[in-house]
Amino acid sequence: MSQALPLLPAAQLAPLLAAYARSRRAVFWRGLLVAACLVAGSLASGWMAEVDLGKFGKHIGGFFSYFDRLTRLEGGGGRVWTDPGEWFWGLRPWLVQLGDTVLMAYAGTLFGALGGFCLAVLGAANLVQNQPLRWGAKRLAEFCRTVPDLVFALLFVIAFGLGPLPGVMALAIHSLGALGKQNSELVENIDMKPVEGAIAAGASWVAMVRFAVLPQILPGFLSYSLLRFEINVRGAAVLGFVGAGGIGQDLIEAVRKFYYNDVAALLVLIILTVVVIDTLTGLLRRRLLEAR
Amino acid sequence: MLVIQGLTRRFGAATAVDNLSLEIPRGAFVGVIGRSGAGKSTLLRMINRLQDPSEGQILWQGQDITTLRGAELLAWRARCAMVFQQFNLSPRLDVLTNVLVGRLHHVPTWRALLRMWPQADRAIALSALEQFGMGTLAAQAAGQLSGGQQQRVALARALVQEPEIILADEPVASLDPRNAEMVMQALADINQRYGITVLCNLHSLDLARRYCTRLVGLAHGRLVFDDVPAALTDAVAQSLYGIEARDVMDSPPPALPDGFAAAVA
Amino acid sequence: MRTEALANLPQLRQQHPAVFRRLTWGGVLAMLVVLAGIGLLALAVWRLELVPLRFIAGLGQLAHFITLMFPPDPGPHLHLILRGIGETLAIAFLGTLGAAIIALPVALMAARNTTIHWLMRFASRRVLDGIRGIDALIWALIWVSVVGLGPFAGVLAILVSDIGTFGKVFSEALEAADRKPQEGILSAGGNGLARIRLGVLPQVLPVIAGQVLYFFESNVRSSAIIGIVGAGGIGLHLTEMIRTLEWQAVSFIILLILVLVAVIDVISGRLRAAMAG
Ligand SMILES: Nc1ncnc2c1ncn2[C@@H]1O[C@H](COP(=O)(O)OP(=O)(O)O)[C@@H](O)[C@H]1O
Ligand SMILES: [Mg+2]
Repeated sequence: MSQALPLLPAAQLAPLLAAYARSRRAVFWRGLLVAACLVAGSLASGWMAEVDLGKFGKHIGGFFSYFDRLTRLEGGGGRVWTDPGEWFWGLRPWLVQLGDTVLMAYAGTLFGALGGFCLAVLGAANLVQNQPLRWGAKRLAEFCRTVPDLVFALLFVIAFGLGPLPGVMALAIHSLGALGKQNSELVENIDMKPVEGAIAAGASWVAMVRFAVLPQILPGFLSYSLLRFEINVRGAAVLGFVGAGGIGQDLIEAVRKFYYNDVAALLVLIILTVVVIDTLTGLLRRRLLEAR
Repeated sequence: MLVIQGLTRRFGAATAVDNLSLEIPRGAFVGVIGRSGAGKSTLLRMINRLQDPSEGQILWQGQDITTLRGAELLAWRARCAMVFQQFNLSPRLDVLTNVLVGRLHHVPTWRALLRMWPQADRAIALSALEQFGMGTLAAQAAGQLSGGQQQRVALARALVQEPEIILADEPVASLDPRNAEMVMQALADINQRYGITVLCNLHSLDLARRYCTRLVGLAHGRLVFDDVPAALTDAVAQSLYGIEARDVMDSPPPALPDGFAAAVA
Repeated sequence: MRTEALANLPQLRQQHPAVFRRLTWGGVLAMLVVLAGIGLLALAVWRLELVPLRFIAGLGQLAHFITLMFPPDPGPHLHLILRGIGETLAIAFLGTLGAAIIALPVALMAARNTTIHWLMRFASRRVLDGIRGIDALIWALIWVSVVGLGPFAGVLAILVSDIGTFGKVFSEALEAADRKPQEGILSAGGNGLARIRLGVLPQVLPVIAGQVLYFFESNVRSSAIIGIVGAGGIGLHLTEMIRTLEWQAVSFIILLILVLVAVIDVISGRLRAAMAG
């Protein structure tokens, strides 16, 4: 550039700069306030949760040596992967347990999706006139969504006895709540014109839902259900911790009895299963999104 | 015969339809005209019972249809088909299924819900589509069709209900002139061929004059005109529509300068 | 018109065979999907012994327990329970905050438009996948083995498992960033770092903050249960009360969790709305 840019005279420039600084300062103070809140919250929480960085420092080595132990063959000698046969000695029963875990997730998601669809439609202000019914459907969905599936599992194990049955029920009920909420957002945002068209043609309420509501929300409904299935596979893997069936039973036993190699093998199997299922459902969901 | 007695509908403080009384013989083709907000849609929606009247009665063949509930209400709606400005089809469903929704009342519920429609009903739906030149589009998703095509699907849906009366709420207001003519012609055909009573809200006076055998004018929910189309002089139209008159008349009243007509067309 | 249509049936059938086919490809496919679904369900019923008899017997039991739950009453454990709830909140707060701080740089590496190298992107994505494959409860189990029983293990569990989730959602938000502001900065001669700092982050940070608030609620629910494996919070007491069949205390705890989550939901909704507006 051959010529310098013209600068405003200082008398004019100063107030402008000051005004800019003033409005920035408001942003700065707001940011500082948020930061202060976060720090105060962290300190209070740290005290409450007995966070001890000294202990952490001392133990962080423990974290890595834990993984070191996980991956060292118990019979002494090399790493687990040098002898896969020995490492995965229990592969067959584990795979069966994994299969059961996925089946638990499947059954729980299926029942939860059906129930969640019903709750969403019954709770929708644009489809149901009956206010108490709507209120009941909404509160039920909220309750089922808020209480964690493991809490349901704990209760059901006492009522129904140990095994996958209480696990499936816990997954189903929690999914019903979560899907009920997500689907009700879909249902409440549908285009009402087809609904009116079907009603005007003499469709019953059920037929109206079938021909005017279902086609509109089906892709979203399936997509949410698949997402819930992914979540439920992870959830089903730990239900065994409270005796509600699945691979979690083997895992917690291996942890409690310090069978390090088994813990490592089970973790690898769980991660693989989850990744495979995520990939497959991800593909399906992408197809659904395109259909939308 | 459709008999309306003292029909009133209020929305809060506003009165959409005000103490309306009317008699329409079977087989008539009646146009309902009036500026927007006059209560035309509300009238038709009350006859189909999409909305409930605040006061008054609607009688069809001597039966009071304002008190129907449950299954009887559904049966009445099946006999009283409705066609909408925005077609109100399910865009994702194919054309044939959309038409078959009009057969719901003639088909066992489980068959309908599983979409296992009887062959006879498919034949009826397809014939109706063919009648409007849409037979080849039966498998298309309704949402992919043009407006004119969608409205013909909606007409087919109305027709397969085998209704005694068809209520059309501004059926051509979203269509281009060519499609508008086609849809109005189809309505007129249905009226003549099957003797189905037609009650049609129209914005365009030109179409109303040409297709209807009788015109009913509403203003502020009250009946202000009820006569043959020939009696609807430009002066009457002017009083019905006020400043909107220019929009609704394709041939401008002589009082207006020529430039207006060109601008409107 | 019905008679007319029926008289024409043979002709119609000839002209539009597709309409009258009882078995269409779509229909067969739908049927197969439904059959497969039912088959899988049957397999689940058989493998998992989901027998109706046991179900019905259990329902009776459950109904009995539920009658015993009313009215909710902490009994002598009020102090313990309140402390547990406090721990739960603390675990969720620290876990969420820590995870967000750590996940941001990881997400920058994992997003296509901000990574330094595709290998880096690949590696960080696989690490995130691995972390997400393990439930928070398993992480709690691992951390309990490492740092011992107590809420600290819970914080670490929530933190680590959330790095996986945040890493994924943050990187998706980064990849969805509008290109136009970035091009503006590049066209003015800015380098890659300037593009990210001035072109990407200003759009994405509010989105990310919203997501963190959203996940805070879900983390409160997670940290309410990790006590089951001894990682602090209300879960430990809940398990105890259920084992000892103190149903009124159980319902009190559940009620407390419901209230806590509802309050957090409202607050985080307000904050998110304030940020959006
Ligand atoms: N659902 C409703 N809620 C409140 N007011 C309404 C509703 N439907 C119609 N109205 C009012 O009733 C009057 C008549 O409306 P409408 O029957 O749609 O008129 P038209 O179809 O002749 O344009 C209008 O003033 C409109 O605002
Ligand atoms: Mg109208």
